[in-house]
Amino acid sequence: MKAPLTLDVNGMRHELEVSGETTLLDALREELGLTGTKKNCLEAECGVCTVLLDGKAVNSCILLAHQCEGRNITTVEGLARPGSLSPLQQAFIQHGAVQCGFCIPGMLVTAQSYLDELDGRAPDRDEVREAIAGTLCRCTGYSKIVDAIEAEALRLNAARWEAC
Amino acid sequence: MPLNFHRPSSLREAMDLKQDLGEACHFLAGGTDLMIQRNRGRKIVGAVVDLSRLRGLDRIEPLGDGLRIGALARMRALETDERVRILAPALAEAARVVGGAQVRHMATLGGNIANASPAADTVPVLLALAAFVVVLGPNGERRVPIAELLAGRGRTTLQAAEIITHVELPRPARGSAFLKAGRRKAMEIAVVNAAVSLELDAKGLIHAARLALGAVADRSLVVADAEAMMRGQAPSPELFKAAATLARDASRPISDVRASADYRRHLASVLTERALTLAHKRLVAATTGIPA
Amino acid sequence: MLKNYHELLGQSLPRLDGEPKVNGWHVYASDVRLPGMLVGRLLRSPHPHAAIRRIDVSAALAIPGVFGVITAADVPDVRFGVLVKDQTLFATDRVRFHGQPVAAVAARNEDIAERALAAIVVDYEVLEPIETLDQAFAPGATLIHLGWEGYEASPVCDRSGNVCNHSRIHYGDVKAALAKAHRVYEHSFTTPLQHAGYTEPRTSVAAWDSNGLVTIHTNCQLPFEVQQVVSEVMQIPLSSVRITVPGIGGGFGGKLRIGMEHYAAVLARHVGRPVRVSCTTEEELIAAHPRQAAHVTVKTAVDREGKLLARVARALIDCGAHAGSGPSVAANTLQLLAGPYEIEALDVQAYAVYTNKVPTGSFRAPSGPMANLAVESQMDIIARDLGLDPLEFRLKNVFTENSKGPVGEKLASVSIAECLNRAAEAIGWVRGNPEANRGKGMACGWWLVAGMSSGVVLRLNGDGTVTMQSGAVEIGTGALSGAAQILADELGLAHSDIHIAMADTQTSPYDYGSQGSRTLFNVGNACRNAAEDFKAQLRQMAGRIYGVPVEEVQIRDRGVVLPDKHVPMVEIAKIVNFREGGLLARGTTFTPGPAFDASRVKNHTLPAWSNPSFFAHAASVDVDEETGEITIRDYVACHDVGYAMNPAAVEGQIQGGVTQALGLALSEEIIYRDGIVQNANLTDYKMPTAQDVPDIRCVLVESPSVSGPHGVKGIGEPPCICPPAAVANAIATATGLRITSLPITAEKIVAARAA
Repeated sequence: MKAPLTLDVNGMRHELEVSGETTLLDALREELGLTGTKKNCLEAECGVCTVLLDGKAVNSCILLAHQCEGRNITTVEGLARPGSLSPLQQAFIQHGAVQCGFCIPGMLVTAQSYLDELDGRAPDRDEVREAIAGTLCRCTGYSKIVDAIEAEALRLNAARWEAC
Repeated sequence: MPLNFHRPSSLREAMDLKQDLGEACHFLAGGTDLMIQRNRGRKIVGAVVDLSRLRGLDRIEPLGDGLRIGALARMRALETDERVRILAPALAEAARVVGGAQVRHMATLGGNIANASPAADTVPVLLALAAFVVVLGPNGERRVPIAELLAGRGRTTLQAAEIITHVELPRPARGSAFLKAGRRKAMEIAVVNAAVSLELDAKGLIHAARLALGAVADRSLVVADAEAMMRGQAPSPELFKAAATLARDASRPISDVRASADYRRHLASVLTERALTLAHKRLVAATTGIPA
Repeated sequence: MLKNYHELLGQSLPRLDGEPKVNGWHVYASDVRLPGMLVGRLLRSPHPHAAIRRIDVSAALAIPGVFGVITAADVPDVRFGVLVKDQTLFATDRVRFHGQPVAAVAARNEDIAERALAAIVVDYEVLEPIETLDQAFAPGATLIHLGWEGYEASPVCDRSGNVCNHSRIHYGDVKAALAKAHRVYEHSFTTPLQHAGYTEPRTSVAAWDSNGLVTIHTNCQLPFEVQQVVSEVMQIPLSSVRITVPGIGGGFGGKLRIGMEHYAAVLARHVGRPVRVSCTTEEELIAAHPRQAAHVTVKTAVDREGKLLARVARALIDCGAHAGSGPSVAANTLQLLAGPYEIEALDVQAYAVYTNKVPTGSFRAPSGPMANLAVESQMDIIARDLGLDPLEFRLKNVFTENSKGPVGEKLASVSIAECLNRAAEAIGWVRGNPEANRGKGMACGWWLVAGMSSGVVLRLNGDGTVTMQSGAVEIGTGALSGAAQILADELGLAHSDIHIAMADTQTSPYDYGSQGSRTLFNVGNACRNAAEDFKAQLRQMAGRIYGVPVEEVQIRDRGVVLPDKHVPMVEIAKIVNFREGGLLARGTTFTPGPAFDASRVKNHTLPAWSNPSFFAHAASVDVDEETGEITIRDYVACHDVGYAMNPAAVEGQIQGGVTQALGLALSEEIIYRDGIVQNANLTDYKMPTAQDVPDIRCVLVESPSVSGPHGVKGIGEPPCICPPAAVANAIATATGLRITSLPITAEKIVAARAA
């Protein structure tokens, strides 16, 4: 049985009708056409479905869409303004962190959540690895992904010092 | 809202809904267990009562010398909260190794208890910390030792429509530790985990030792023999080894795809000894001010 | 300002498809939605071995929202398979593995499709499964395929009962060599089934048009092979099948063989609507095309000085219920069993064996890690026994320039000694075990570049850019972005002036496909040839347009250079369109294998390796004294890549490949009990997380290949071969324990220590 639902995604409000069983993942992909958020294991093991819920990385495959009413959802499509790339997205390209790319939306969102929590502190490679352990990548062996996240964290850290 | 999805605005409303809807209705907190079981087709979820946004139930606050933790406190909060890290390091350690960061942003302490997995990570810690669970039901509130809530694999003694609202850690547990073994270094369901808490008396003898293991029985297991054996003794490597042997003997694990029963018994012993050693170091550091 | 030769080749340029992959708008097969599209799902056998007595789909068909249900009775009676035609679309009278498709439904949505599957009644007569290699290989074993003699098969396969190929390389007098040996060693090793682990499940969307053409948007690695199989299965002309690969979330050889394409096509034809079929994770783990399990026995004879005299080996390769890639995978073990070593006499044999388990595929370096574990573990055992340093022992025996390979082929650009030395140097090689529970280990190997043919078509666009059409799929490696570096360099263009078109069997030139570490090697060569054609045509056109002799026209600096001026490409491109009917150029390549001695080899699909590459890995590990927990502290992978066209991309291949193989070494396995998969989910099928692997350190050796573009050698598969052996050897150094079965779990360490 479908019911109306208001979802705030990437700063835009959407009115939709979905059933009580619909996951946030399916609402994003099938109702809103935001296919950047990927679908795979459906048990919070692979991380390709990661989105930000009120700024924190969560697995959209195990959230019900109706749970998310009134909360701010950010998907990979919302990490930068249309037509531009965020510094983190650019860092992924520059460091060769992208291969097949299927895990990358979830990885970027996972990393963004970590960077936001880090709040300008200096990063630590082991801490980066711990932060992204919930998002599997089968292509890269992670090193270049860690390089990209670390570089962006260092940039933010430097920016914070400059601001002091 | 759809007919099978409910978001009550109060605990009272939540209990009423559950009473009205009955068996096929499930409380949903973090959803990190319930939703996975649903997605695997193992659990038919008729209706959901979403507790995750009940106000005030995610607080971590002082309670005497100890802590009072809302049932909706997320694993990530337990992992990072300074008071938890100091007063109950074992709890922070256990919360830190629950799933990935995404799961820890969602999974709640109350949900970990209610799910009653024999391999739960925080439940052995709560046993070792002699935690009380505050439960609200249609007939009022009750405060029960965590051990009394566990009834077996996936089963608790919670009555229909009862909701866990808080967990109370009555005493500081600076001398506590948690260790976990799995095949990988992250994203693991425990093959075995062990939580311990030590308190020393003025003479430096063990005033109280509490020890609990996960994934070695049909529920998180308190090793009462070892606790009794250590009481009044001076902490020593030999004592911890003896306790580890008792922990191994108390274990009644199964063999499955994750590990054999033999290996689990072996780990019960090793992790117990190491956790006791670590907890003791922490306790000494906390009392002397010299870091462990 | 303008890119020149040295700024494009050998540079870590960002990949051309990077932007859409980071902003979320890159379209993968699983993102494709067509108007009216239905959801297709497969009913899979719950039994590993059973006779089908009856199937009743009537209850499923009665469910509102179900558009169609099909079984073997509804599709052409066709057997297909790459080398042995031993499979059918749906099980007919018998199921041979847990997960075999029995029926398919098309429904309005997933939920209805699920309910329809549950409503199909299948009456099975359950039979005893043949689960292990030993059971299946034993004389008189129950036959998995009763009518195997009647199956059509490639003449390369030597088949008999449960064996779907027996291949062999044999030379020298093995008996005499064994007789004169100082010592003879024999050891056995086992490796498990490993899923390729791509993050995008196999997904296909099929739609038929009114002309009888079926278009399938799918995430496959070999569109031209899939096109052929779909036409064969459906009994329609090849040209009535169009395969496009919009985007693919990983492949690693697991998406070489046909996946969901034929199911989507038959369902779509049956119901007259577009149909999408996508695998769940459970279906992936019970019924994809994983790496074969293997059982390898190696006997090696050495003389007093530690020279290899003879090797006799036998590999049993578990193909599962269908031959699939198995017959060629088994054959490929033979070169691995010989190793990169000069051996006086060799007799290595491999058997591809049927069992009642999941049919297998060609996961990255098929046969590589299984055979290498055996050979390289034993090399360490022998060195230890002879009192030799494992590094010295290997160096004493490895190929050198102009060595003869196992089938008598002459080897060129042989760099194995350099790889060993540089890996050892990078890891800080020390002999023995200076620290308790900490140890270093190494392993080395060699691998081929699959040859065959590739074609490339170039189109000059009106804005002066060039679109490169290739039938090779960009599966994520960056190989096509690397080929574009070669192309841009040849054409005097910027890297970003090259557009790479999606692989599409209707428009792309033929390509043997993204497999066998061949993509950059072959597409790169085709690009060089296509660039020659492009430049010759453009010079002619410029000569006509500007009235100058052709020999005075140069193509460089993003344009055409005439005696008196530089015409930007954007300018001449417009004129070429208006006056010359545009510019299309093409180039092809075919890489033949080397000459070899055919008397040495039998029933081998790739008897002599072309342009082999060499490599050596070294690992440093800690092993927990009590729990057995293994930690990889440091890992060095030294690869001869011939020429590193894009060093960052090459490192990415190495780091990713090593990590996959570390998964095989330490944590991954598909576990069966009584023929049923026990861990068909990602909670218990354990791929490495970011915390399980260290930063893999890459050391690149550049010893140019004979026929690759600018000397390029293959790098896709080689990184997957050595990690299990290198780690097993490091663990042996750390603990004195020799674990001979993968994955090497903490539990196995503790059990070995207790024994």
